[in-house]
Amino acid sequence: MKVLYLRKVTKTAKYVAVALVSAILGLLIQSAFAQKQYQIAGFLAIALVAIVVVYLTDVSVPFKFLLPGMLFLFAFVIGPIVYTVVMSTFQYQNGNYIAKDESIAQIKLLGVEGDEAGTAFDAVVGRDRSGNLAILASDVLNKQYFVSTSEIKIDLFAADLELNSDGIATSAPGFVLVADSERGSLDSLLSSTRFKYKDEFFVVMEGSDIGVVKRQVLEYRSDTDVFINLIDGRTFADNGRGNYADTSDPTEILQPGWRSPIWFANYVSLFTDSQIREPLLRVFTWTMIFASLTVLTQFALGLLLAIAMNRPLRGRRVYRSIFILPYAMPSIMSILIWAGMFDTEFGAINNLFGTDIAWFQSSLFAKTAVIIVNLWLGFPYFYLICSGALQAIPADLSEAAAIDGANPRQIFSKITLPLLLQVVAPLLVASFAFNFNNFNLIYLLTGGGPSSPLDGDIAGATDILISYTYKIAFVGDVQNLGLASAISVVIFVIIAAISLYGVRKSKVLDSFS
Amino acid sequence: MIKKHFGIVGVVAAAAIAVSGLVAPTASAADKEITVWADETRGPNLEKVFAAKGDWVSGYTIKVTTFSSFDALKTAVDNATDLTGPDIIVGANDWVPTGAKNGKLAPITLSSAVKARFTANNFFDLSYKGKVYGVPLDINNVAMIYNTKLVKSAPKTLGEMVNYYKANKTSKKLTSGLCIAGGGTSWGAHSVLSALGGSAYRMKNGKVVTNVDPINPTELAKNIKTYLLDAKGKSTGFFPASDAGCKDAFLAGKVPFAVIGNWEWKDYVYKGFKMNLMPVPGIKAGTYGQMFGSVSGALLTTYAAKRGVEVGAKDLLIKFFASTEGAIRYQSLELRPPAEKGAQSADLTAAQVGFGKAATLAGIPQIGILNGTAGSKSYWDLLPAFWTAILVDGKDPKSEATKMNNFFKLNIAAGVKDL
Repeated sequence: MKVLYLRKVTKTAKYVAVALVSAILGLLIQSAFAQKQYQIAGFLAIALVAIVVVYLTDVSVPFKFLLPGMLFLFAFVIGPIVYTVVMSTFQYQNGNYIAKDESIAQIKLLGVEGDEAGTAFDAVVGRDRSGNLAILASDVLNKQYFVSTSEIKIDLFAADLELNSDGIATSAPGFVLVADSERGSLDSLLSSTRFKYKDEFFVVMEGSDIGVVKRQVLEYRSDTDVFINLIDGRTFADNGRGNYADTSDPTEILQPGWRSPIWFANYVSLFTDSQIREPLLRVFTWTMIFASLTVLTQFALGLLLAIAMNRPLRGRRVYRSIFILPYAMPSIMSILIWAGMFDTEFGAINNLFGTDIAWFQSSLFAKTAVIIVNLWLGFPYFYLICSGALQAIPADLSEAAAIDGANPRQIFSKITLPLLLQVVAPLLVASFAFNFNNFNLIYLLTGGGPSSPLDGDIAGATDILISYTYKIAFVGDVQNLGLASAISVVIFVIIAAISLYGVRKSKVLDSFS
Repeated sequence: MIKKHFGIVGVVAAAAIAVSGLVAPTASAADKEITVWADETRGPNLEKVFAAKGDWVSGYTIKVTTFSSFDALKTAVDNATDLTGPDIIVGANDWVPTGAKNGKLAPITLSSAVKARFTANNFFDLSYKGKVYGVPLDINNVAMIYNTKLVKSAPKTLGEMVNYYKANKTSKKLTSGLCIAGGGTSWGAHSVLSALGGSAYRMKNGKVVTNVDPINPTELAKNIKTYLLDAKGKSTGFFPASDAGCKDAFLAGKVPFAVIGNWEWKDYVYKGFKMNLMPVPGIKAGTYGQMFGSVSGALLTTYAAKRGVEVGAKDLLIKFFASTEGAIRYQSLELRPPAEKGAQSADLTAAQVGFGKAATLAGIPQIGILNGTAGSKSYWDLLPAFWTAILVDGKDPKSEATKMNNFFKLNIAAGVKDL
C-alpha cells in the first residue's frame, strides 16, 4: 500500500516536473518565434516533444538518462559550431547586419530628400469629410494654409480657418481634428502616409506637429532587383556581397546592406588579402610560441618543485600549500594584480628592481610579462600532476639503476622523465590546446598590445589568435563577424587536430575498448 | 497502456503550453508606450523628470529602461531585436554611423526652428550621410584644470606651463606638468596635439577641409622638440604618454595642470578644487588647443516604426529632448552642460559654466571620420601610438608625425563622404 502510494507521488511529481519544463520551453518557443529566431524555436520545439515523449512514455529507458546531456550538447556545443561555420560563409559585418528585405525597406525610407528650401509646415492631424487621414498645414510666415490627404491637396484661405495665437490653423471647414486618445492608434498610418504637396513632392509628418516636404530619390524595381536614382539616373544593383552598388562605380554603395552569403570568400581572404594574411600569420606564429613556451616553462617549474618536494624536507606541507595558492586564487584577480605590478610608474616590479621598464609598451617586454604571469598561473597545476606521477613511479627502478651504477642525472633522464612523460604527455597536449585559446590572460593583461599602428601594425604584439579574432569581431569600426567566424573555424580545426593527436598518443580511448 | 500515457502526455503538454501562453508577453500591451533606453546616470534622472511631468506627448506613456553602465547599454543596443529594441536611445554620438549602417537608427528631419535651438556643430555628431539621427542632449568635453595651490593664475601659453614644470619639478616633487586625467590619450589629448600645431582634421566654414594636411610634420616636430623633449630627444616628463595615475597625481597636488572630463568634475570639487577651467593654451598667447566637444544624443531607432510609435517617439524627441523646458528639467538633475541653447542660460554650476566656456573657446566636433580605418587604423589608435613612439620609444618626431599625417589623410578622404 505504502509502495503504491509512493509510486503515485513520484509519478505525480514527474508529471509536474515535465509540465513545468514544458511550460518554460513553450514560453521560450513563443519568444523565439516572436523574435524571428526560427531555428532556436525549432530546436526548442524538438526538445519539448522529446522530453514529453521520453519521460512520459516507456519508449526508451536509456534515453531518460541520455536526453538532458544530448540536448545540452546540441544547444551549447554542436549548435554554436554549426552557427559559426554558417556565419563564416556570410558577409556579416557592420553595414551588413540585417536581412535583405529589411535592407530594401530601409533604403527606400532613406532614399528621400527635402526640397532645396527645406520647407516645413506646422501641421495638425485630422480627417477630411470622407474620414481619410489628413493634415491641416500652416506656413505661418507666408500665411499659406492647406489641407492634404494622400490623394489630394486643397489650398485654404486664412479667413476660413481658426488660427491659434501663433497663427497656426487648428480648424478648417470639413476638417476634424484627431483626438489625443486616438493618436497612438494612428501612429503607424500617420508615419507611413505621404500627404500630397506638388509635383513629385509630398509632405511627411515628423512628429504630430511638423510636416516636412520631401521627394523620393531612390526607387526600387523589384522585377530587376535594382534601385534607380530618379534624379541622376544611376542604377544600383546587388553586388553579391550584401549591398546595392552603383553599376558605374562599384565603390559607391547604398546602406544599410544585408547579411549575404559569400560562401568561401572569408576563407580565401585569409590567404589572399595582405591586410588580413600578414597580421594573421604573425599572430599565429606568436600563438604557437606562446602556447609552447607556456607549457614548457610551467611543466619545467612544476616538475622541479615536485622533485624538490618529493624528498623529505622540513615544512614540506607548508611549502606544498604555498605552491598551490596561485592555482587556488581566481585567475582574473591574479592577472589584474600582475597587470598593476607591471605598471611602469607605480608598479611593484619596477620599484623593486629600481628599473624604468615600460612593460606594456615594448613588444619584447610585454611578451615576457605574458609568459611570466602565465607561468605563475599554471605551474601549480603541473606541480600537482608531477607530484602524483612521481609518487606512482616505483622506487625500485631508481634503486636498481643506482646499483647498476647510474648517476642521478642518468636516473632522471633515462627512467624518471620517460615514465613521467607517459603519464603527463596528454596533459601537456591539453595544456597546449588550452593556452592556444587563453583569451583571459591576453585580454586582461595586455589587451593584445602593444602595437605600432603608425608602422602599419593591425594586430598587437601579444595578440593570440583568439584575442585577435575577438578584435575583428567586436572592436573597431568594421566588426567583421563573418571573417572572425572563419578564423574561429580555423582555430577549431587546429585545436581539434591537436586534441585528436593527444588522445591518440595517450591511447586514452583504448581503455574503453 | 501506451495510449493511456499519451493521453496524459497530451493533457500535460496542452496544460503546459496553455500556461506558457498565459504568461507570454503580448505585443499589444506596449503599443502606445514609448520606450527610452539610458545608462545608469541618465536613466534614473529621466525617470524622475518623467515622473514629475509625464504628458510630453499626448496619447503616449513613456517608459525608461536603465542599464547598469554605459557599456551595458551599448551591449543591449548591439543585441536589440525588433521585439526587444527601444524607440529612443540616449547614447553616444559615435554610435550613429554604426547604428545607421546597421539599420538600427532612423533619421529624423528637424525643422529649422528646432535646429536653431542648438549649435550647428552639434548636429555633425549625430549625422551620417547627410541625415540626422537624433537630437543633441548634453555636451561632453574636456577642459584643462589648474591647481591654484601650485600656480597662481591661468597660464597664457604652453611655454609658460613647461617653464613652471621645469623650475618646480624637483622642489615640488611634480610627477608631470600636464597630464590627461579624462578622455584618454586620444579623445582627451587632442587638445595637446592641437596646442602643438597638429589636428585630427581641419574645418573651415562648417566643412571638413580635404585639401590641406591636418598635420604639418615639420612644425609639429619642432614644437614637440621644444616643449616635450630634452636636448637628447627624450621626454622631459612634462607630458606623459599614458593617462595612468594622472587623476590621482593631480588630486594629490603632484601635477599642476590636467585635462579632465566634464563627467567627473564632482570628484575634483569634493577634493576641494575650484573649477579653474580653460582650454590647453597654445604656443602663442590667446591661442588654444582645440578639443573635441561631442554631444550625447537622444537617438531615434527603427524599432519605433516597427512598434507603431514612430510619430510619438519623434514628438518626444522634439517636445522634450530638444526643448528648453525639457533640457532645464533634465539637466537640473544630470548636471552636465546642456546642448540646448535656452537651457544654457539657466542656473548652471561653476563646472557647467567652465566647461561651456572652454568649449566655446576651442571646441571642435567629434565627427565620424575619426572612427574611420581606411588607413588601417582609426584616429583613436593612432594618436596614443604617436605619443608612445615619441615620448616612450624616443622615435623621431618628424617621421612619426609624417606617418600619422598620412593615416589621417587616408581616413579623411574616405570618411568625408559619410558626413
